[in-house]
Amino acid sequence: MTFFTVIVRGLIRRPVRTGLTLVGISIGIAAVVALVGMAWGYEKSIGKQLDVIGIDVVVSNMSGGLMPKVFDDSLQANIKPLPQVADTTSVLMQMLSIEDAPMMMVSGREWGGFTWDKLKVLEGRMPKDGTEEVVVLGRLAAEVLKKKVGDTVQIEATELPVVGIVDGQAVVENGAILLSLPVLQAVTGNEGKVNFIDIRITPGTTKDQVAALCAQIKGVFPEGRAMVASEVVGTSQGFRVARAMSWSTSLLAIVVGVLGVMNTMLMTVFERTHEIGILLAVGWKRRRIVAMVLWESALLGLLGGLLGVSLGALGLKLLETTPAVHGLLEPDLSPKLLLTSIAIAVLVGVVSGLYPGWRSSRLSPSLALHG
Amino acid sequence: MSDPVPLSPPPVFQAVGLTRQFDGGQVAALRGVDFEIKEGEFVAIVGPSGCGKSTLLSMLGSLDHPTSGTLTYRGKSISGLLDPAEYRSRDIGFIFQAFHLLPTFTVEENVQIPMFEGNLSRSQRKERAVELLNSVGLGHRLGHFPSQLSGGERQRVAIARSLANRPSVLLADEPTGNLDSENAASVLELLLQLHQKLGMTLVLVTHDSTIAEQASRTIRMKDGRIVLPATPDPAAVI
Repeated sequence: MTFFTVIVRGLIRRPVRTGLTLVGISIGIAAVVALVGMAWGYEKSIGKQLDVIGIDVVVSNMSGGLMPKVFDDSLQANIKPLPQVADTTSVLMQMLSIEDAPMMMVSGREWGGFTWDKLKVLEGRMPKDGTEEVVVLGRLAAEVLKKKVGDTVQIEATELPVVGIVDGQAVVENGAILLSLPVLQAVTGNEGKVNFIDIRITPGTTKDQVAALCAQIKGVFPEGRAMVASEVVGTSQGFRVARAMSWSTSLLAIVVGVLGVMNTMLMTVFERTHEIGILLAVGWKRRRIVAMVLWESALLGLLGGLLGVSLGALGLKLLETTPAVHGLLEPDLSPKLLLTSIAIAVLVGVVSGLYPGWRSSRLSPSLALHG
Repeated sequence: MSDPVPLSPPPVFQAVGLTRQFDGGQVAALRGVDFEIKEGEFVAIVGPSGCGKSTLLSMLGSLDHPTSGTLTYRGKSISGLLDPAEYRSRDIGFIFQAFHLLPTFTVEENVQIPMFEGNLSRSQRKERAVELLNSVGLGHRLGHFPSQLSGGERQRVAIARSLANRPSVLLADEPTGNLDSENAASVLELLLQLHQKLGMTLVLVTHDSTIAEQASRTIRMKDGRIVLPATPDPAAVI
């Protein structure tokens, strides 16, 4: 028998209560995994999209809701001649409810721009030119909308035929409806307007030169901002809000978990007052009693964490298949997230055991023995 | 010039003016108790219920502290011990009327429990527990749980546990109080054997005069006071 045997025996003596506590912690940790996994997945998807397309700098308006506010496409002409700019292309991106899908990304792209380059046609064809009033669907968008080549898609009040299904190599691309910029401008009443100008910079440009370029763009577009693609995710207000929301909701789940474990451990200490009295009488030091309570509590956290991570991962996989999420998000289930979640669970266990442990250390052996 | 007189070792326990009050002084369990217990003595503390004998035993084991007076173990104040747990672990073995075994641990594990505070390895702990249980005649019950044993067997496990860290003093609080006469006699016989074989100091609380007769000395208590001689008869010590 080892000290660990004593700890495990303490937990299995009340299997129902231990089981219910584990369920409580695991639900909390599953919530952490699901919410943070979604937020991180969203950030990762956007980052990957920018990377796949080969966008180096993104220009957008500083204000706006879900998407940045539109601005005049003529701005592109002012940016193009700036030093280190190799290529530019403009995009009008809208999050719209399309038929039965609650929210979908609709991307109107300047015809001939480099944002079309990496799309691989899986079925059908690309639009013939920038004026053809048709759409192509990312492969996930086609699945979500249950559309094939030859069907039509209603965007706002306009029915547009689907002429192709494409693979964009990133979930954001694959989950989007893609069409020529002027067509989306006309359909959404945004003639001449865009909300992004994507820039490729000349190879060999230094970090300082990129920073200088961003400053110059700010000069010609004071109400907008130019950001290096890798920083878009980190500095975006939308992502910050998503991240804050996911962590704050997770925090609530964690607090509930702490209270659950603390309640269990307090009950354990109260219930085992007599047993603790015996342990003190046979010579156990108080710090060993505290260690026993803390280890039991930490073990509860660890087991709850493992269970919660499994539940959360399973939940995310299921969520990924639902129409509301499918194609829009690719949840992040990286080892970093899973290990962080388990570490949080163990921490929850240890923190929850502190007060019960302190209580147990204050027991008078004589009273505990006869209590 | 004569040789210096050798100093005699301090008594195992010495109490001077020991009192214990509860409820802010409204209840007095001990009212000025003085006694000495020498190395190797078997002392029975007897008296009616509520006379303070169990309170006294708890103090000897540092489970409780006096309100006033001094209580020493081999010349050192028990209430002033920096680490009472170490004293309980190293020097004292407790045997209780209600056995106080841990129900979720096997007989062998119960005996191993006190050994966690020692420096024994896992295999040494196991070896010693088996050896002790064999010595109390329970070598065939190692994997049983306390609920599967008779009262007499449970008390034998408790005795084996009290010896886990090879203490020099055994404190027994009504060790036969929950047993039938046959088991009581057998447990008492075992305690006497241990006392004689290991030379341990045995302090036993009882209200049974036939058990007290087996002791080398009896301290009789009434209303929190000692009413019979509290100093040892040198001839009675082993």
